[in-house]
Order: sequence, then structure tokens, then C-alpha cells
Amino acid sequence: MAHIAVQHLKYRYPLTDELALRDISFTVGEGEFIGIIGQNGAGKSTLCQALCGIIPSFYKGAYGGKVLIDGEEAAKTPVAELCRKVGIVFQNPFSQVTGSKLTVYEEIAFGLENLGLPREEMVRRIDHALELLDIQALREQNPFDLSGGQMQRMAIAGIIAMEPQVIILDEPTSQLDPQGSEEVFRAVQKLCLQGITILMVEHKMEKIAAYSDRVMLMDKGEIVDFDTPQKIFSLDCLEACGVQPPAFTQICRGLGLRNGDTGLYPVTLEEAHKALDQIKGGAAHG
Amino acid sequence: MKEISLYEEKDTPIHALDPLTKILYILAAILVPALYGGRTAMAAFIAASIAVLLAGRVLRRTLPILSFSFIVLITVVIIQGLFRAGNTTVAFALGPVVFYREGLSFALGIGLNVVNILLSFSILVLTTRPSDLVEAMVRLGLSPKLGYVLASVFQIIPQMTATMGTITDAQRSRGMETEGSLLVRIKAFLPLIAPVVMNSLITTKERAIALEVRGFDSRREKTFLRERKARGRDKAVNALLAVLIVLALIGRVTIWLT
Amino acid sequence: MNEKKNLWSFQLNTASLVLIPAAVGINYIGKLFAGLLKLPLWLDSIGTMLAAFLAGPVVGALSGLINNVIYGLTMDPISFVYALTNVGIGIAVGLLARSGKIRGVKSAILGGVVVALVAVVISTPLNMIFWGGQTGNVWGDAVYAWCVAQGMPALVGSALDEVVVDLPDKIATILIAYGIFRGLPKKLTLLYQSGEKVESLD
Repeated sequence: MAHIAVQHLKYRYPLTDELALRDISFTVGEGEFIGIIGQNGAGKSTLCQALCGIIPSFYKGAYGGKVLIDGEEAAKTPVAELCRKVGIVFQNPFSQVTGSKLTVYEEIAFGLENLGLPREEMVRRIDHALELLDIQALREQNPFDLSGGQMQRMAIAGIIAMEPQVIILDEPTSQLDPQGSEEVFRAVQKLCLQGITILMVEHKMEKIAAYSDRVMLMDKGEIVDFDTPQKIFSLDCLEACGVQPPAFTQICRGLGLRNGDTGLYPVTLEEAHKALDQIKGGAAHG
Repeated sequence: MKEISLYEEKDTPIHALDPLTKILYILAAILVPALYGGRTAMAAFIAASIAVLLAGRVLRRTLPILSFSFIVLITVVIIQGLFRAGNTTVAFALGPVVFYREGLSFALGIGLNVVNILLSFSILVLTTRPSDLVEAMVRLGLSPKLGYVLASVFQIIPQMTATMGTITDAQRSRGMETEGSLLVRIKAFLPLIAPVVMNSLITTKERAIALEVRGFDSRREKTFLRERKARGRDKAVNALLAVLIVLALIGRVTIWLT
Repeated sequence: MNEKKNLWSFQLNTASLVLIPAAVGINYIGKLFAGLLKLPLWLDSIGTMLAAFLAGPVVGALSGLINNVIYGLTMDPISFVYALTNVGIGIAVGLLARSGKIRGVKSAILGGVVVALVAVVISTPLNMIFWGGQTGNVWGDAVYAWCVAQGMPALVGSALDEVVVDLPDKIATILIAYGIFRGLPKKLTLLYQSGEKVESLD
């Protein structure tokens, strides 16, 4: 059974005439890493919020179709229950701080207290989350005293501690400096190794290419294509959708350097190497 | 990180008391004089509060709390001492200005009442971590959501003050006048406050979503990370305070009956 | 949407709850800026009024209440008592806004007068109990002293004292709160309104 199944999802925000999501359908399997790309207004954030039930419950508006998470229908499950299965991390690290806790340790406990977990279980999960995000040293600090990158890792820890099977990251590094971004990406990589299903919206295409099993290209509230990074970044309509492929892909495109077996452009440095070797090998044999 | 709270972390038996015990003390300090004992009881509670504040090593920190009220109290003494209806007995005169005993006595009553309330509250405010107080109230039955609201104010106000500093600097560097005639200053108010307000409302929306995905609306019974402290001593103090209130009540009732 | 909805209706949803700390913060900032600019007004209930405009009388009242509870716990214990006044302000503005009485600058000024009267009615007895009728404001107390010296009852002097303090302050505050409210994007203000339903596209 598919882990996430979205069927004919449609959504319109209140006070607007146009659909933000128009008839979206796809499935994601357990443990997959999905990159979501597209220009601003393509519907990426709307889709993320529909996956965790914030849409429609928080915004209201008009909704159609189904989002099934592990068989449970998102629109019919309270967000406070669905959050045990799907966690979400947003752009702005500052507004994700609850503001009611005085230390990082207590801040991470926020969701666990709401779920009514016993104390020992909370301690176990918080310690695990602190370690995974590499923020043990910050545990007694005030959440508002952290740097952007630290704050964002704390936000991720707060979600991880709730032990969801799926984590959605909606442009988690867009408001961070390069160092903070790097910290967050390292953390995401670790999550991926834990076998958690990840959907990440991101504008840094090198990262998308490096991590994703599959990439979803969105435009104007629709899925343009949903396939391997190589296929997606070889699409001709990419630029029309407002997406710049990774630097390696652009260079290889310019040089006409394709993978000999698949005919697709390389998306990472390793793949570019391989394609080059193939050409050299071919030349040597020829 | 700047806190708005006057609380200061110290290791004293007063700090270790259960916040609810301190609330009960405030109740006793207000109710006992109101029910029975009047000014004598107020004076006794003021003395007791001073002793407790000394034990908690925070007496000096009551000054900022008292100072505002003191200014008002001084005007109360002057205005009531000079003008109160029913002023007949001259207490003393400073040149042409005559103070009357009745007015001064009335002012003394007001002063004792205000100082008594301020000092008993000071014990709670100065020796209790705000988040502990909120948590104690939630344990007692306050809705966890209102508990969140209370606890978050303590952190959000310093955040907004910081934003305010940034905006004031920015507007000044754009040449906005924050000094000058009243009209100039009134005109400066809106451009200063509007960005802080907009900013905080947008953050508010994002924060609401972030809270919801962390189970804020959960119907499950909430648990607490922080352990409840031992409370044998708290119970003893609570019992003593309860006895005091009940005695005052009995005193009041017997006065009514006789 | 049903226009004739219940005036008191409210939704204590997360958005409205999180609005309360922001309202308390805005009150505080208003007071600080007023002090910084040495304005002869308090301007310390902009947030309460804004919350009432956005989310109705109940959330407005809660903002007023929590505002003073926090002040009471941190700076000035006497402000606990005056929570009643701020609750009254929140309710009054919420009802005026919900019933559609405030449509422009003129009606906002009129609303300010109503709110000031509510504040006077609630505060005066409290002033009598705690301060013998004074407010601690120089101009107001001068009026009070004059009234008492003229042989008027302290209650009358106290009420006039409070009027002198509250009338300009509440009119200015409601104008500012209304101005900001009108400037907010509709998408934001919609979040705090009750009675919204999810429409089906199936």
C-alpha cells in the first residue's frame, strides 16, 4: 500500500477565484525522499499544508479530492492527531518557536506534552532528537537566543520527537545564512538515513538532485512531472516552469554531455564524472 | 535574553515554595484584614511580608514595584489631608496650608491597604519563575491553552521590544522626527507602531500553524516534562494560611451575630 | 455568509488564542512608544482593541484580562484590579465592531466616547476603593482636588478625574486600532472570524 496517496486534490483559498491546487494525484512509498520544485505560486506550500491537514482546517476555503496518509484521510482527521503521522517544518524558524518555553529541552517537549506522553518516554525521545540534530550543547539555552540555523534544527527536533513516519520540509533553509543552511541539510540527510519518508520543497537544486529519489515539478497548481531527478532536470519545459537545473546539469547541457545509457543529463558531480568516463571509454574503444 | 519579569533566580526556602502557597498567602493578606482586624491585621501582614521578602533576599527589589504607587499615595495624602469632606480637626499647618486629621487618617488606611497588597504580591512575583507559576495554575485546572497564552506573553514581549528598537532606529535614520511639538510627535506614533503590529500579526498566523502541527489542539490529557517538587512544607504553610482565613471569617460572623 | 451572526460568537481557535499574546505585546509597545514620544496619553490598549476588532468581544475581553494579569505578575500588582476595566474595553469595542457600528473616522470617534464611558463606569469605583478616588494622572487629579475642595462628593470628583484621563486616550486609541485594522489584508482578518465553513469541490 502506498504510504501517501493523493487523489484528485483540488483547493482554493478563501477570497480568491483561482484554484491553488488543481486536480493533483500521486503516490509516495515508505522511506522515499521526494524533492518538490517549481516557481513561487506553483502550489508547493499549499500542497505541503494539505498533506498535514492544515489545509483545509486552518484556512477553510474550498477543497476537493482526498489525501490519504497511511490510509487515514487528512481532511477528516484533526491536525492534532494527524501530526503523529506527518510532521512539517516551515521557512521561518522564528515563528516556529512556541514562545512558552524557556529552554531548548522544554521547547522540544512541547508537542510531546500535548500528546500526553509519559515523562520517561518524553526524555528518551528528546535526547534522541537532540542527538540526531546535533544540538545537545544547546539544551539549556533560551530558544530565542539561538542562531537561525540552530533555531531551525530545534524546530526539526521538535517535530522528530513526535516520531512521525513522514516529514515535510517547506523551504527549511530559505531564511538562513549559508552556514545555517548547511547545518540543516546535514540534519535532513541524517533523517533520510533513519528511513523516514521525506518531502522537501527547496530552491537549491544541487541539494534536490543530491538527495531526492524522485522530484516533483509543479507549476500553476498542477504536477508537470514526477520522476527521477535525471528525468526531471532533462525536461525541456524546465525553464518555462521557472526552474534553473543544478549547475552540473546546466554545464553538461551546454556541452551536450549525456549519460550514454539513459540519454539523460547528469544532475550531480559524480554523474557528470561517470558520463565523462563513458565518453572517454567510448573514444578509447573506438 | 531580557525578561520582563522581575523574578530573579535564587536558592532560598521562599523560592522553593509551591507557587500556589504564595497565591494563598496573597488571599490571606487581603481577606483577613477585610474580614476581621482591619488596620492592625494589615500592619501585621505588612510586617510578615517584609520578613518573608528578607528571607527570600528580594526586599530591595520591591522598590520598583512600590515606587509608582508611592507617588500616587503622596498625592492621596496631600489631597485627602487638605480637602477631604468631613475634615474638621486640624492636625498641623504648613503656613497657610492646613492638614486635617480625618483626611490623613483616611489616607493612612489607603496607604496601608495598598502597601499590604503590593508586598504580598511581591513575594509571589519576585520569587517565582513565571513559567512555574503558569504550570502550577495549569495543574490546578487552568486550561492548558490559556496557560500557553500566559507563558508566551513573558517571552513575546521582550521579542517585540527588540523589534521596536530596530524600527525606531530605522525610522530615525530615515529622518523621522521623534522630538519637537506635540503634533510632530503624534505624527511619529503611527509609522513607529504600525510595522511592529503588522509584523507581529503575521508571525502570529505562522506560529498558530506551527503550534497546531505540534498537537496544540489535542484532546488527550496533557502531561508535563518538569517534575513536581516535593511539598511537605508547602502543605504545612497552606494549612496555616487556611486556618488564618477561617478564623477571620469566624470572627466576622460572631461580630454579625452579637 | 450569514450577515446577521451572533454578536458574541467567537472561535477560540489557535489563531485567536495566539492573537492574545500579540495583543498584550502591542499594548505594551503602544505604551512604550507613547512614553518615548512623551505623548500626554497612555495608548496602552491598542492591542486589546485590535483583538476585539479582529476576533470579537470575547477574545478582546480575554486580551484585556490577560494583559493586566501579566502586568500584575511582573510590574504592578494593583493592575490586577484594573483588569475589569480592560475587560470592559475589549467587550465594548468587540460589540461595536461586530454590530457594524464603526464604519469610518467619525463613528470610530463616537465609539471612542462610548468606550471611554465604559472605562469610567468600571474604573471609578475601583479608584474609590484603592486610591480614595484618584487616578495618579496629574490633570485628572487636579480636577479631582478642585471638585473635592468645592465640596462635591468624592465620587463625582473621581468620575470627572477618570473622564479627563480616559476620554482623549480612548478616542486616540480606537482611531489607531481602527486604522491598523483597516490596513490589514483581508486574508489575515478572515482567520479570526467564526462561522467559516470548508466548501466542497467534489
